[in-house]
Amino acid sequence: MSRQQRLIIVLIGSFFGLFILAGVAGFLSGVVSGATGDTSDRPLIWGMGAFAVLAMIGAMAVSVFWMRNIDEAAREAHKSAWFWGGTGGMAAGGVLVILASLPQAESLNLAAWFTDRTDPAAYMATGAFAMLTLMIVGYALAWVWWWLARR
Amino acid sequence: MNNRLKVLRAERNWSQAELADRLGVSRQTVNALETGRYDPSLPLAFKIARIFAQPIESIFSDGE
Repeated sequence: MSRQQRLIIVLIGSFFGLFILAGVAGFLSGVVSGATGDTSDRPLIWGMGAFAVLAMIGAMAVSVFWMRNIDEAAREAHKSAWFWGGTGGMAAGGVLVILASLPQAESLNLAAWFTDRTDPAAYMATGAFAMLTLMIVGYALAWVWWWLARR
Repeated sequence: MNNRLKVLRAERNWSQAELADRLGVSRQTVNALETGRYDPSLPLAFKIARIFAQPIESIFSDGE
């Protein structure tokens, strides 16, 4: 089996593994909730917490496997994309962070643009997702640029 | 950095994909090397030299 085939199998396996893991976490939360008679949100929160931690550990493991199995130029492209694209995206997000900290931004219900929730955690998640999105967009652009410049 | 990769490969009638296989890298990487837009690491440069049975300095030059 070639290196590329191994990488594709691991990626597809991880994708479906994520769904299975989410299903198992939901099922176990229900089982715990039923067994203990705890009707609060606690079992769900613990279940989702465990899912989130395992999913991120899995994502890290797949990333490490990926980086170790690509060749040096591909690795260099990712490193360059991480620095230029990631920090560029973070700089763009930094502008939004500064603007959001102004008292004048108080009337902006940013979280309400994406969800019905307007609680502090929803704002926190909105900010984190916005920063993550900008960094990923920057990463993707820098990665594409790196390869286009070396065609 | 300049290199003679393309010439050496053509002399052996190898495709980029074939050379990539021998080096254990992708075809895109071979292309980037041949165009001189990507400088290989020292281990990869040694591997290239071994495959073409030539000293590194006869394949790569710093352009000065």
